[in-house]
Amino acid sequence: MTTVKVNGHTWSTHSGKSKDKVVEAPVIHNEGKLEPPNKYRSLNVFTVFYMLINNFLRSIKILDKNQTITELILYYINHSILLMVFFIMSIYKNFLWIYRKIVLKSLNVTYYPNKSPHIIRDDVNKLNKIPKRLSCILNFKDEDDENGGIDGLIFDISELVAWSVSAGIAELNIYEYNGIINTYNGELNRYINKNLKNYFGTEYIPNITIKIPHVGQIMVNDASKPVDLTVNLLSAIDGKPTIVELTKTMSELAVNKELKIEDITIDLINEELIELVGNEPDLLIIFNPNLDLQDYPPWHIRLTEFYWEYDNKDVTYAVFIRALQNYAKSKVNVGK
Amino acid sequence: MSQWMTTFPGYAWLLSTVKKIFGNIIKTGPVPRHIGLIMDGNRRYARAHNIELKEGHNMGFESMASILEILYECGVEQATVYAFSIENFKRSSYEVKWLMDLAKQKFQQITQHGELCEQYGVQIRILGNTSLLQPDVLKLLRQAEDITKNNKRAILNVCFPYTSRDEMTTAIKGIVKKSTEVDDFIIDESTIDKFLYTKDAPPLDLLIRTSGTYRLSDFLLWQSVSSQCSIVVIETLWPQFNPYEMSKILINWSFNKYWYGNSNGYTVRGNPDNLRLSNDEDLEDDEPNAFTTSYNRNPIVEDEDSFDRDSDSDRVIDNENDTVPSEESSINIKTA
Repeated sequence: MTTVKVNGHTWSTHSGKSKDKVVEAPVIHNEGKLEPPNKYRSLNVFTVFYMLINNFLRSIKILDKNQTITELILYYINHSILLMVFFIMSIYKNFLWIYRKIVLKSLNVTYYPNKSPHIIRDDVNKLNKIPKRLSCILNFKDEDDENGGIDGLIFDISELVAWSVSAGIAELNIYEYNGIINTYNGELNRYINKNLKNYFGTEYIPNITIKIPHVGQIMVNDASKPVDLTVNLLSAIDGKPTIVELTKTMSELAVNKELKIEDITIDLINEELIELVGNEPDLLIIFNPNLDLQDYPPWHIRLTEFYWEYDNKDVTYAVFIRALQNYAKSKVNVGK
Repeated sequence: MSQWMTTFPGYAWLLSTVKKIFGNIIKTGPVPRHIGLIMDGNRRYARAHNIELKEGHNMGFESMASILEILYECGVEQATVYAFSIENFKRSSYEVKWLMDLAKQKFQQITQHGELCEQYGVQIRILGNTSLLQPDVLKLLRQAEDITKNNKRAILNVCFPYTSRDEMTTAIKGIVKKSTEVDDFIIDESTIDKFLYTKDAPPLDLLIRTSGTYRLSDFLLWQSVSSQCSIVVIETLWPQFNPYEMSKILINWSFNKYWYGNSNGYTVRGNPDNLRLSNDEDLEDDEPNAFTTSYNRNPIVEDEDSFDRDSDSDRVIDNENDTVPSEESSINIKTA
């Protein structure tokens, strides 16, 4: 009867946390602070209850004056019920995880671009609207992971670029929390063009421009031709820190009497932030197992539609096209 | 819940007892401190059920009261509800008038007998750009704030009228004004936090949006992009959203926090610092270690290998290619 252990193991491989830690007494009064994952979760059911009883006996001895024994007993009864519920939930979530993985796999088989822009074009033509500006949150994965490291990230971005060009999207934002890709933009550009050749053949290669708004760097492949897709590389620094920088600049201007406080309006800040970071995307695809915005620029997600697939961590065409399909169905009505 | 069931005697008592028991159980684990609610779907509900718009809004208010009841039972410190957006002024003048009347009526109720507030010790705070409101409405809101200001148990923030961009702009204005008055005023992210309408609230832990719209619609953008905040979107319309569904969301949040240490569930984000470290090691590494670049499975093997090489090099000492690594490996043994 070591099901908890088994569960703990399967789940801890996702979260990447080590499970052999020393067990401590439970926190009775939870103050809502940020805590690491509970250490009980990887233990056997019987061990957990043995420890609970132990803790209970210990806390009887050091009972506070303002705490009665019945309160303590009730607390422990309630806490054991909660732990039981969590235990059952962990089993349920494992089954859910398997189910979702199967669904994702079958979706990947159903929607397969086969490195052909025509298939993507056919899928997109069925939709009644497509986003003008698309934003994607990607993850830098550890090198030991599947499709991880810098190479994995570059591969994912180049695939996204090829799909976006085929779908006719004008602007693609790539958000990666650490901004690690910024230092590898030469390689990225080379790989994107190589991948586009795979899709479009060597006769006509779509013209891509890569921008890094934070550094103010622009990489143009062919200035003479019209640009097919602009790729913006964003990171956490384009979010709250940029708004802080803007505030600092405005305060300096105000101190030097070059800016009146009444002149600071939503429109002014919007203009400035569009200049610094870019436009608000219409659709945000989160290639994450859950809806985690990871400090995405807060100003830029006012009316952005979110899309993600539970328990998905890969950048696949199935998720991409389903996001577009979902966006086509949505209806935006500001305030009305 | 079926309508006929609510007519049974003792139903209300049973419901509140169940809520209390659930609250006591969930309080023994992690509980979100600050919850944001986007109450969407009142009008869609009214249209679908062929009732008047006004009636739909009314039901929405009742739904809010029962949801807040369970939240406060569970120990949530602050709830922030999106009652009225600045964009809502764009709606038809009838509806704006209805909404204002509804607000006036409800706040009058609160000020007159204040059932919910007294029973739960709820303090009401109005967040938002109140200068846009009619003076008579504003007067009532301030009265409600005044009457409940001594309640300590929980806080209900009513966003009326509010948009997040307006909030950020107001914060920036406030900071700029302050920096013209105070020399060397330090501006960083926490400064902006302190100038937002939600300055007195703990960081947002959970944001719930009803009626299956995957958008934030200008609500608490700054607060919700953090990875610590979990955003939950549910398909039900707000008037149908019941405490049972709310409790499912709460227990799921609690589970994620307990199991993964993150209210969003597990994350796949890797740490690029490891990458840089391993690259540096590669550069610094000498020839003998080169064969164990990525995955150091068993460090003892390495030593054995170098011993082997030593013995090998003794035998074929005149082979130049072999002597170099043997020297290095012997150095390695000395240093190890």
